[in-house]
Amino acid sequence: MQDRIREVLAAHGRMAVDPREVDDRADLYDLGLTSHASVDVMLELEEVFDIEFPDEVLKKATFASVHNIAQVVEGLVKLSA
Amino acid sequence: MERAVAVGLPERVASVEEILWHRDDYGMITLPDEVDGHRVRVGCDVVAIQDVQDSLAAFGDRYLRKVFTASEINDCRGSNRVHRLAARFAAKEAVIKAFAEPDMPFPWREIEVTRDGPLPLLRLSGTLAEQAQHQGWASSSLSLSHADCHAMAVVLVVCGGNAGAGAR
Repeated sequence: MQDRIREVLAAHGRMAVDPREVDDRADLYDLGLTSHASVDVMLELEEVFDIEFPDEVLKKATFASVHNIAQVVEGLVKLSA
Repeated sequence: MERAVAVGLPERVASVEEILWHRDDYGMITLPDEVDGHRVRVGCDVVAIQDVQDSLAAFGDRYLRKVFTASEINDCRGSNRVHRLAARFAAKEAVIKAFAEPDMPFPWREIEVTRDGPLPLLRLSGTLAEQAQHQGWASSSLSLSHADCHAMAVVLVVCGGNAGAGAR
């Protein structure tokens, strides 16, 4: 799952570094992810994993690291299964 | 160590200021974050126009419906559509910063920019309206601007004297 998330970040995150090579706990905002880019990342994750981000997970912390994104996406995938 | 002096401050402050301002051991002043129970909150944000253009190209209506209310989408029709959308996104992020609650969910559509003639106004709904009430938001002022490349927003909020405990 993390590999697919990293591919989404690489395509839509507009980050200053290659997200495929960052630590899964690294702060993505420190690495250049903007709030607006996180919208694109979320929309693409919804397509890739066939999920929908509910309002309650629309918080800064959700997109703060690959680890955090994976945790949220994993939970949403289980819910939609 | 030399005593630090804040530029522009008088050598001898008035007694009421001495009550409100707290000097530390080095003479530095910590300004109060509220006066008479009133607190000011401010937020700002800047958005690249090209980023909004790219989001529209990549996700179209999904992007619009996820972020903007139907009223906002309608208000942004016509010329400068992308610039107007970008300014509204900046306003939403500015509001989020004004809340200063990083762990709180922020559904973008609960923050709406409306207009009263030429002036932009801020409307909150749902959980964010409740949180604003909890923080004692009494009035707000919103300013939007854009150039060819970027849009920006500043929001200023005055909180009343009945802000809830822990609502800092």
